[in-house]
Amino acid sequence: MRGRTSLPGLSGLGSPRGLRATTTVVVVAAVLLPLVPLLVWSVAGTWRYPDVVPGRFTRRGLDLVLDGEVVAATATSLLIAVTVAVLACAIGLSAGRAIGLYRFRGRRLVQFLLLAPVIVPGLAVTLGIQVFFVRYGLADTVLGVVLVQLMPTVPYAATLLGAAYANLDVDYERQARTLGSGPWRTFLTVTVPLLRPALVTTALLTFLISWSEYVLTLLIGGGQVTTLPLLLFAAIGSSDRTAAAALGLLVVLPPVVIVLLVARRLRGRDDAWMGLARG
Amino acid sequence: MSQSVVPTGPTTRQHAVRRGVPERLRPLLLLSPALVVVGVFFVGGVAQAVLQSLGRQPFLGETDWSVEAYRATFADPAFRASLTLTLRVVVLSTGLATVLGVAVALLVRRHARGPLTTLLQSTLAVPHLVGALCIGLLLSPSGFVSRLGAGAGLVDGPQDFWVLTNDAFGWGIIAEYTWKEAPFVAVVALAAMTPHVRDLEAAARVLGAGRWRRLTTVTLPLIAPPVAAASVLVASFAAASYEVPRLLGQSFPATLPVVALQRYQDTDLLVRPQAMAVATIIAVLSLTLVAAYLTLVSRLSRRSL
Amino acid sequence: MADPTLAARLDVDGLGARFGDVTAVADLDLSLEPGSFTALLGPSGCGKSTTLAMVAGLLTPTAGDVRLDGASLLGVPAERRPVSLVFQKPLLFPHLSVEQNVAYGLLARGRPRVRRRTGALTGAASRQEVVTQVEEMLERVRLGGLGRRRVGELSGGQEQRVALARALVLRPRLLLLDEPFSQLDADLRAEMRTLVRELHDEADLTTLFVTHDQDEAVELADTIVLMLDGRLAGAGAPEAFYTSPPSVAAARFFGATNEVAGTVVHGHFRGPGPLEPALRLPTTAPEGPAVLVVRPEAVGLGGDVPALVTATRFAGSDVLVDTTLPDGQCLRVRVPLGTRVAVGDRVLLALDTERCTVFAQEALR
Repeated sequence: MRGRTSLPGLSGLGSPRGLRATTTVVVVAAVLLPLVPLLVWSVAGTWRYPDVVPGRFTRRGLDLVLDGEVVAATATSLLIAVTVAVLACAIGLSAGRAIGLYRFRGRRLVQFLLLAPVIVPGLAVTLGIQVFFVRYGLADTVLGVVLVQLMPTVPYAATLLGAAYANLDVDYERQARTLGSGPWRTFLTVTVPLLRPALVTTALLTFLISWSEYVLTLLIGGGQVTTLPLLLFAAIGSSDRTAAAALGLLVVLPPVVIVLLVARRLRGRDDAWMGLARG
Repeated sequence: MSQSVVPTGPTTRQHAVRRGVPERLRPLLLLSPALVVVGVFFVGGVAQAVLQSLGRQPFLGETDWSVEAYRATFADPAFRASLTLTLRVVVLSTGLATVLGVAVALLVRRHARGPLTTLLQSTLAVPHLVGALCIGLLLSPSGFVSRLGAGAGLVDGPQDFWVLTNDAFGWGIIAEYTWKEAPFVAVVALAAMTPHVRDLEAAARVLGAGRWRRLTTVTLPLIAPPVAAASVLVASFAAASYEVPRLLGQSFPATLPVVALQRYQDTDLLVRPQAMAVATIIAVLSLTLVAAYLTLVSRLSRRSL
Repeated sequence: MADPTLAARLDVDGLGARFGDVTAVADLDLSLEPGSFTALLGPSGCGKSTTLAMVAGLLTPTAGDVRLDGASLLGVPAERRPVSLVFQKPLLFPHLSVEQNVAYGLLARGRPRVRRRTGALTGAASRQEVVTQVEEMLERVRLGGLGRRRVGELSGGQEQRVALARALVLRPRLLLLDEPFSQLDADLRAEMRTLVRELHDEADLTTLFVTHDQDEAVELADTIVLMLDGRLAGAGAPEAFYTSPPSVAAARFFGATNEVAGTVVHGHFRGPGPLEPALRLPTTAPEGPAVLVVRPEAVGLGGDVPALVTATRFAGSDVLVDTTLPDGQCLRVRVPLGTRVAVGDRVLLALDTERCTVFAQEALR
């Protein structure tokens, strides 16, 4: 059906302008308010109780973020998140092709299997297999953490890339094949470029899930694999609010930047937001 | 390359590939890496949790089948308190996030849609761990709200402020889930309010439906399926996530995921089957919600045909 | 069924719509007699749908007024106007059945308060009355017995008929149709045209029909209003657009027209150079450079204008012949089938002066 964009300037539900502006301000304030103390604490030297503004500001938070331990944890977090994103995209590309392009028996079961790990948080599941990680020497290793983080990211990547494959016009591939290109050459020179926007989005979002993951890293990493969320959790437990806030900012910045980068592409795609609400 | 000159070349090659892997098995082959990951870690994890809750102890050679762990768990008043707390947190967080999310979406679609949508989307990216930190700094007895209250002369001191974090009711946990998940529901609802929905509202309008009637008979029924699906996700997450209740709740009663980990980390290995029983209960709860989600989504897609 | 007082008179005065710097509609005047069937014709993007949205109340005009039987509608919200609009897309509510869709407006407008405000609208007194009206209406659009169907089970033509029923069951005083058939196949479109014209004649309605298809407008409407670039470009009976178009642009929109440049001197159009005696017509156009517009069917063989045949093309019921005059002017001529003309023939052309229209040269811009 040839869709035409809706009629210009239809405004139906508009409430009086002043009320609307007020509610908008309230919404913005409610969304941003919890972030205010985080920002202020990260630079607060001393902030005695009744004061609304700190008595003294400090750059201790910044120093702490540049400290050796934090830098090492950042490197570990990056290493794990990049590895997880690359593996999840590779596995997801393969599975996505099956989901997006084929109709086969048991497709619904596969969809269920691929959806469940995205929705069910990992704790309940990981408790059961932790002993196996210990037994096979994967506990307390970066490899073990990468493997366990594939559980929430691979199904997510498969779902997103499955949707991308479903929108792919396979006639491009057929055209390439009739021009003499072999299957791998076709995949690399035609399919991957066509799926590139979805691949970039998937890579960024799986990176983000891994970057924010806490409990799986704790259970499998056993405190030996120290990522930023683990340091942050410890800092929140301590009484050093400045340190916690500074670390919190370090943890929160990459995800926010990534989402701002991909937001335009994701508009109108609720399935893509699904994984984000998990973090 | 010579094949591009011979017209039959590519076809021959295609047949060769088909002969290598039968067409029927291709999806299975393509899916296998993902299925291995999900099968080993997820299905294996759930199965192991169930088996270990029933008395099996891998690598210790002991398998003493019994439902003792479940009996002990359900008999424990602490567990029942946890279950009550968990359900309360799930119901209140989901309800608040859904109502507020839809309300915000209805507001945002008319007014400053671009910037406000971006704001909501960036809140989505905040990890729950950081969200818990923020809510703690905001609502604790010496937190930002308490300071604002003191500044306005409404609060005498930290001890005078309401206990909103690490409290028995779970307000801090509910606040964090609501703050993080209402934008999620709003983003889903906004995605559902397509130009087509707007056109249907215009059609209702020329048929004589006023603002309220349009909202209740056109807009809300049309966005209900995806919004309901989003709510199910929120509920499932609130039921099974660990770090937020661990940081913003009490250690007793704690929500089920916290109890599961507490028992898992108990030095007494005999408590471990109970940890697995709790983990199984959480998994069953979440998977029930996943099934509800899938039902909703399939109903939605049938409608859009 | 027909209620003699139902059809309303619509007056649109100096209507304008601006979106920022873009002017969609400017200074538009329209008058629709009660019971008339008017086509608002124009290419896509000419502002005709915007005009319809303003009449329906979905868009607030930035200038001008819309009056129904003399009373301004501007303060009346869309849901209170005794006007029905059928959109280009059927826009059936997907969560409601066919009969629930048709009943939607009756239930929404049926409240007594609204009934008083909208005057002629018959409100639904009882549930039974609603059911009866819906069933009757479905019969009239030939969808009897399909009331329980889900909307998704209907074909494109059935969907648009439900949309028509949903609008007409309210017994509107003015029916607005926004290209309702443009997404249908050709034969279905013809069937729907007949149905709409029948429903219009039965129900004693004033109908304003937006379309970009001049054949559709000519076939359906009593009056055609042509809109170009957001402005009125002529209004009148369909034949008038062929015999004496209101402007060069209007003539061009109706297609296949010849334009001959010339001059108006002493109340007469004079053709270029050597043709002057042959192309000499009395006209009321102002003195100075001018252009003569004549459709191919108003040019025939057997006159006194010499021309060379450069191409012939079979056009179904007749033949189109392209000719060149001695000074290079091209004229397209429509001749009956079987006329013996071939490329390279020298012929003499005759212009039907009754069907020639002269415009001042400025009017081209």
